[in-house]
Amino acid sequence: MELTSTTELPAHPIKARAPAFSLRRAVDGRLVAMTATGSVAVRLRQCFPWSEPRMHLSLRDEEDNEIALIEDPASLDPDSQRALEDALAEAGFVLEVTHVLDIDEEVEIRHWTVETKQGRRTFQTHLDDWPRLLPSGGRLIRDVGGDLYHLADPKQMDKRSRELLWAFVD
Amino acid sequence: MDQQIISRYLEQPAELPAAVRSRIEESFGGEPVQLYGLADLDHSLQLKESWLALGPRHVALARPDAKGSWNVRAVERSDIRAVQDAPGLSANTLSLLGAPNEPPLAVVRYTQRQRGAFENIRFVLEESLAGRTVATDDADSVYAEAVARPVRDAQALVANRRTAVILRLLAYLKPYRTQLTLGFSAAAVSTLVSLVPPYLAGYVIDQVVRPAQSGGLDRSVASRIAWMAVSAMAVLFVVREAAALVRLRLMSVLGEWVARDLRAELYEHIQRLSVAFFSRKKTGSLITRVTADTDRLWDFLAFGVVDVSLSVVMLLGLSVVLLVLDWRLGLVMTVPVPLFIYAIYWHGESLQRLFIRAWRKWSRVTDVLSDTIPGIRVVKAFNQEGREIVRFDERNDDVTDEFNRIHRTWTTFWPALMFFVHATTVLVWMFALPRLLGEGSALSAGVFVSFLLYATMFINPIEMIGQMARTMNRATSSAHRVFEVLDSKPEVQDRPAPVRLTPVRGAVRFENVTFAYDGVRQVLRSISFDVAPGELIGLVGPSGGGKSTIVNLIARFYDVSGGAVKIDGVDVRALDTGHYREQLGMVLQDPYLFHGTVLENIRYGLPHASLGEVIAAAKAANAHDFVCKLGQGYDTMVGERGHTLSGGERQRVSIARAILHNPRILILDEATSSVDTETEREIQEALERLIAGRTVFAIAHRLSTLRRASRLFVLEDGKLAESGTHRELLGKHDGIYRRLYELQLQLQ
Repeated sequence: MELTSTTELPAHPIKARAPAFSLRRAVDGRLVAMTATGSVAVRLRQCFPWSEPRMHLSLRDEEDNEIALIEDPASLDPDSQRALEDALAEAGFVLEVTHVLDIDEEVEIRHWTVETKQGRRTFQTHLDDWPRLLPSGGRLIRDVGGDLYHLADPKQMDKRSRELLWAFVD
Repeated sequence: MDQQIISRYLEQPAELPAAVRSRIEESFGGEPVQLYGLADLDHSLQLKESWLALGPRHVALARPDAKGSWNVRAVERSDIRAVQDAPGLSANTLSLLGAPNEPPLAVVRYTQRQRGAFENIRFVLEESLAGRTVATDDADSVYAEAVARPVRDAQALVANRRTAVILRLLAYLKPYRTQLTLGFSAAAVSTLVSLVPPYLAGYVIDQVVRPAQSGGLDRSVASRIAWMAVSAMAVLFVVREAAALVRLRLMSVLGEWVARDLRAELYEHIQRLSVAFFSRKKTGSLITRVTADTDRLWDFLAFGVVDVSLSVVMLLGLSVVLLVLDWRLGLVMTVPVPLFIYAIYWHGESLQRLFIRAWRKWSRVTDVLSDTIPGIRVVKAFNQEGREIVRFDERNDDVTDEFNRIHRTWTTFWPALMFFVHATTVLVWMFALPRLLGEGSALSAGVFVSFLLYATMFINPIEMIGQMARTMNRATSSAHRVFEVLDSKPEVQDRPAPVRLTPVRGAVRFENVTFAYDGVRQVLRSISFDVAPGELIGLVGPSGGGKSTIVNLIARFYDVSGGAVKIDGVDVRALDTGHYREQLGMVLQDPYLFHGTVLENIRYGLPHASLGEVIAAAKAANAHDFVCKLGQGYDTMVGERGHTLSGGERQRVSIARAILHNPRILILDEATSSVDTETEREIQEALERLIAGRTVFAIAHRLSTLRRASRLFVLEDGKLAESGTHRELLGKHDGIYRRLYELQLQLQ
């Protein structure tokens, strides 16, 4: 695949604290890492999406090789931080559950109907898959298709949601 | 079925809406939509519906406008210079890029649920950019398959209405109609007979005891009638228990027969299913269906069906009898019954919630066990025993609290329920006493005693009916799991009047073969080759190149998507698969031995082989010596999956099994990759004896083991990139094989 402007990459990943490194959104919408030797389109991966979502961000090229590890985005210039912010919103996106409307069981699967910040959603989990406790104290549910649903604080949800969730969270 | 799954479970269109399709095809100049996907996230990552569709020459993006109509924008496929996919945790972005430094032609965002459909689109576009054309199946079925697949893999059926499942299950009772009728009749007799003793008791009190006490009836006559009543009661009890015996015996045996039939049908069907099915289902889940689920169905058929139906009859019968005996007291007794039934039902539902919570915590306990017991050496090596004990104790305490909560619930509920039942009885007394003492309408002591005796008979049917919902739920759930397997169709099926090659000579021909596991993404692309009988073909190349797929197609574990695989000139799809596979042998990287003796394992494909033939095969496989050193020689049990033997020993037993089977076509899949050098030498020797005179396909990463191959096929990215002898391929300066070979030499 052709890149907007590709030059030779350094042999080892760049640490973002190096001042020569910056990020931009290219005209075609891609995130581009610019170094002293050229630029390359990159994707963002969070190393710790739940433990430390905004730190230790890995920038990877089309072949999924890491070309830079940003330990702290604050070390980047303001334009780079803005470009990174957009990419982070996409890469770290999960559906944020605000209300649980129904939980029902069938033969092998459990059906969930929820209201999320993004809209209403119905999904299925395996019967032996349980919401995962996150370091933040929230819960994370993974459906059979691989989508993630975040419950920031089940205790603060409405009464009906709390009742439905009672068997699934402590 | 995929469309049904989408409509029922996923709350999204099961196919491209007709209005959108028509607008898109209009923008394609009348050309049809070939593939499409639902982009369910908008640019601000909100759940919104838009569609990306692929035509022969265009790509179109359809988005709803503010007025609710569809805004379609089409671009020429020839304008696309690159396709970029950016996966995130739950949001993916697919960008179609045009000229450099120009805005993208299209950008769509979607959740993981739509990923399969968009991967298909991306694959076709990337193939197109590489100058290759991909033929796709019907667009609607490709979309439905991609979206429904995760749900279908988890539950391969759309759950039917409960009554339909129960009726299907009851159809298994048909062959045993006589026993069923007898069992039901016996149960009915037992139930009806139970209604007589309370009536008799009341009759004796009113018609015999009280008249005799008041002098209205001669004592000898009274005594005779009373003794007749007692005898009748004794006979009734004998009849009732005899009927109960007949019912229990017949129904439990009948249930076992049905469970046996289900197990047999299920196992036979599982054996006929294709390899693809087993890659979708967990082994444990299949074993549970054949064992625990059929056992639960036995319980339901043997007892549940009769108990529940007779409980309904009993409850109705009792209500009628009580109302006939005395309608006022009858009402006091029967009005609360629906409330009791509902209370039991409600209690069952509450317990279910508690059980889910307890199961969740129980799984946390088993997680610790399944982590630390197999990994005990790591735990000890890192000195983490203390931490693991604390972790286990915390979870153990937690689950105990949950189970105690369950115990607190049911131990509170049942005494409370019984209290209310008894309160009803007290209420009956309160209504009855004034009447017994002469106030209001008359009530005889006999009728009252009968009444009280009938009242005690309410408890069991109430309990049974209250639990009926749970019984039915459990049975339908098990039946669904069984029917899910029975309704799965084998992907590979024989045609009518299949061809039998006797014997197979071993000529294998691939004619322009393409193959895709999911119907779209091709793992083999236009592969063609001819292999003569007796050739040894080495399949080499990077992982994911298509080597295993080639041997899977030769063994007909799957059918080709395009082209044909021919054995001795006959399309493999026209062959009798079972007969063909009898002449096919496989030695795998991780040889599978069954629980049984070494002898049984070697004779697996040929159970009637003589002991002499077994020894000859073992000798040829370099297995005879180590087998003789085992405690009980060839009669030594090898344990589950042969784990009492070393990897090299298991491999040699599996080679002996293949030698005895005497296949015409042999597949060696990394047969020596997981053993040490000395064992490898012994296995290599055994393999050389095994391959003599057969057509052999050998997959090996260690290229040095394939030097003696007649030809080597180098597979890369689903294509036959190079072929030739070891010497010829080494002669190609920029060849893939030469590069791989030199790389391995450097590592050595």
